[in-house]
Amino acid sequence: MNISRRKFTKFGCKIIIGATVGTTIIESLVTNSIAQQNPPVEGYDWEKHFWGYVVDTRKCIGCGRCASACKMENEVPFDEEVYRTWIERYRVKKTINETREEEVVIDSPDGGIEGFEDDIPAEEIKKAFYVPKICNHCDNAPCVQVCPVGATYTTKDGVVLVDYEYCIGCRYCIQGCPYGARYFNAEKGTADKCTWCYHRITKGLLPACVQACPTGARKFGDLNDNTSEVKKIMDEERITLLKPDLGTKPKVFYIGLDREVK
Amino acid sequence: MQPHLKRAFTILALIIIAFIIVRSLVVPESFGQYGWYRGDSVKELRNLTVNYAGSATCEGENCHSQIYSVWTADRHKTVNCETCHGPAEKHVLNARELLPNASDTRDFCGGCHYKRISRPVDFPQIDPDTHGDDLRCVYCHNPHKPWFS
Repeated sequence: MNISRRKFTKFGCKIIIGATVGTTIIESLVTNSIAQQNPPVEGYDWEKHFWGYVVDTRKCIGCGRCASACKMENEVPFDEEVYRTWIERYRVKKTINETREEEVVIDSPDGGIEGFEDDIPAEEIKKAFYVPKICNHCDNAPCVQVCPVGATYTTKDGVVLVDYEYCIGCRYCIQGCPYGARYFNAEKGTADKCTWCYHRITKGLLPACVQACPTGARKFGDLNDNTSEVKKIMDEERITLLKPDLGTKPKVFYIGLDREVK
Repeated sequence: MQPHLKRAFTILALIIIAFIIVRSLVVPESFGQYGWYRGDSVKELRNLTVNYAGSATCEGENCHSQIYSVWTADRHKTVNCETCHGPAEKHVLNARELLPNASDTRDFCGGCHYKRISRPVDFPQIDPDTHGDDLRCVYCHNPHKPWFS
């Protein structure tokens, strides 16, 4: 065989490079398809669950136990005004101005953790109520769409999570969330949000806020499970969503919401 | 093929190869496993520590079964143990890790039961100025069995 050294080296280099690139591509494809079959968490099949959350605003007493339980469970900075879940108070005043619009006072002092004081005389108020707020874990989540690095995502069981290792802290998602459910965690240097206590629900426990609620205003359950309380409420009660017109498909369902609540 | 084209293709090929190599080094192994995110982060988030153990853990035979049965029989049964007593997972794992006593101040009970205009009308509320003579609530009411029935 007559082959020059130059030709041999050239051909050899091509083969080596081609083989390396080829195997890496094939390998990544193969490992991905194998891994996809195994759920990420042992003893918990995320394909079988689809979580949902119900807030019955008629039952909320504004005690703030949910908000403080959330901070303690998830180590949310206690002294900062950041919340994974918080309570808003709506007070509609009796006075009507010239344009026939109601005057509504909305507040949430320290997320409602310490409760609420009555600072407007009762005679001036037509109606008043509390609305607990939490991440809606949207099926079509804007925060997930805007993340430039893939650090936030929706799991197969319908929970929107943040990867704290991968988040670069650009805060685009905080801007993108129409519900204001995200905040910047200065301790971690990343965006942060409610996880529906993913470390609890995957072990069969309830989220800390649901467990802490003394009146049962917050309910959590599996929408795939026909016997769950949340599913029953979905089937029987008249429920509303927050900002349904945005098409985000929230999975927090409200009972008894007023038109003032957005 | 003309030499200038050949050169251009070689450079392009090198750039592509360099990109693939750098990408394989920089992108975490589990990225893209289930979607456009790091698959391992699901595991990490699942393994975070639990602080609230749940009321079911209090019921044990040698634990608080007596107070548990008193509590479940009365109107405060919707209020879980840890709502007043605080997170108890450490105590459940090691009974010697005692919990601080639940607060018995008027303001603590008032967090739920002081009269507020925004609260549901049918929820039991009191006016702290006229009710109970500034005594601690537990003087008359047992928090586990709040009303004489």
